[in-house]
Amino acid sequence: MRVTLAIALNTFRETIRNSVLYNILLVAVAALGLTLTFGDLSPFSRVQVLTDFGLASMSITGLLLAVFIGVGMLGGEISSKTVYSVLTKQVSRESFIAGKFFGLLSILLLNFFLIAVLFFVFIKLLGVNPSYSLFTAVLLLAMEMSIIISASILFSSFTTPTLAAIFTIGFYIAGHLNNLVGIGAQQQSSALWKTTLNFLYYVLPDLEHFNVRTRLIYELPIPDGYILQTFLYGICYTILLLFLSMIVFSKKDL
Amino acid sequence: MNAIELINISKWYRKDFWVQKSCAVSNVSLAVKQGAVTGFAGPNGAGKTTSIKMIMGLVRPDSGSITLYGRRNDDPDSRKGIAYLSEQPYFYSHLTVEESLRFASELLQLSKDSVKSEISRVLTSVELQDKNRSKVKSLSKGMQQRLNMAQALLGKPHTMILDEPMSGMDPPGRRLFRRLFRQLAENGTTIFFSTHVIDDIEAVCDEVIVLSKGNLHYSGRVDSLLEKGYKGKEFIISGMTNEIRKQLIACGCTVNAQPDTTLLFVPSGIDPQVVQTKLRGEPIHYHAITDRRMSLEELLYNNSTLQEQ
Repeated sequence: MRVTLAIALNTFRETIRNSVLYNILLVAVAALGLTLTFGDLSPFSRVQVLTDFGLASMSITGLLLAVFIGVGMLGGEISSKTVYSVLTKQVSRESFIAGKFFGLLSILLLNFFLIAVLFFVFIKLLGVNPSYSLFTAVLLLAMEMSIIISASILFSSFTTPTLAAIFTIGFYIAGHLNNLVGIGAQQQSSALWKTTLNFLYYVLPDLEHFNVRTRLIYELPIPDGYILQTFLYGICYTILLLFLSMIVFSKKDL
Repeated sequence: MNAIELINISKWYRKDFWVQKSCAVSNVSLAVKQGAVTGFAGPNGAGKTTSIKMIMGLVRPDSGSITLYGRRNDDPDSRKGIAYLSEQPYFYSHLTVEESLRFASELLQLSKDSVKSEISRVLTSVELQDKNRSKVKSLSKGMQQRLNMAQALLGKPHTMILDEPMSGMDPPGRRLFRRLFRQLAENGTTIFFSTHVIDDIEAVCDEVIVLSKGNLHYSGRVDSLLEKGYKGKEFIISGMTNEIRKQLIACGCTVNAQPDTTLLFVPSGIDPQVVQTKLRGEPIHYHAITDRRMSLEELLYNNSTLQEQ
């Protein structure tokens, strides 16, 4: 546990000292700032636009973090061989993967916290108190990003950083279009296509479960137990992807 | 129990889109004794680095088994008390020297109370005590290699595995490392290091293991290897008569007349006492008597001398 924490802390420190993090934060802040202006051009209220833009920018920021920092973190360690200085000690590859994950997750949570504070301040400036649902929406996004981070770790454990970045973005898009894949599978007459699409439908996570933006904007109620179920779903997927990463990485020649 | 033991280890790499297989190490078995300083020699591409990576668990062998003090090396705990120093220093560039060592101490799970004094001890031993606040990336390659050594010395390991530790180092750095090796060896630390530089083996090693094209070429003591390279005795003398010269040449000796002296070489097959008996009573003056040997380099890379291993 001490080793995993040390690796997580080192990952956190490395990312904090990385300028990419600040550029991503800057993009998020700029997007939120622009929302205040665009709000007047929309038929919706400024709060609705800000909520939509705020949550969308958090989602995109998380993806950018997972791609630019997450993928580079493990892939970069393998290509620069800094991993040698860790794995030649009494450190298992499983602890290394877990440490990397927790380090990246802590950065992501810090990043979400900063954007969320700004987001809530802007909402407050518009004269509206941030609702409990808004907090849960941010938490669900963080859970979604935990899946994306573990996917980026899985991809970087077996391929190059460039390909891992492409796969992670593909995973994010496919995850958000998963329900369409399910509909497509039902409409297929070819058995091969039907099986393939069904396989993708069940293997890929449905990331739309983590998106409650529409419900918030139209002030629709969130069903009881939905948050807990979605959280459990996210935790299960994260554990599964991390477990696969550990298996793949433990067999990798460095 | 041996410190390191490789049994029938083989490693193949695939290349050209997995079509071709190339053998890095082929069915190698070797053992490194506890408390000994063992050199690991061989030309480029012999499989030394691959073997060391397999020992440290960075690369998985395709066949065979590796044990560290009797424990299989795929168990991370088998690396307890074993330090590794890579050919190139690989550090996190965002860290300072002290942070790097602190991170390594955490990974080694050193007690929190001892970390500060341990960092100070290892930095002093590699003469980097005034660089603890410098960023690692600002250090020269030689200094980074010293820092690499400092990291390896953390926690006083009982075994050190070093891959070309002195490559790219300046002469003062090499002297420092050799001195450190001698100190560690005197304290009973097992040292296993690969090198191209045969002088390093002659200067610090008790044992030597030689790989060539992925195969074990020699494994044994350095002094017994040097004995194998004994060629004969060489006498520099003056006052030799033609009669004696003819007798010695007839015995199989080589005689080279110089302007003032004569160089007499008695090959290892001939007893030098027999020659000296012949020379007794002659008006001969001895200037020097030396052993003529093959250099360790000649021995290590000469197949015919090592066939007996």
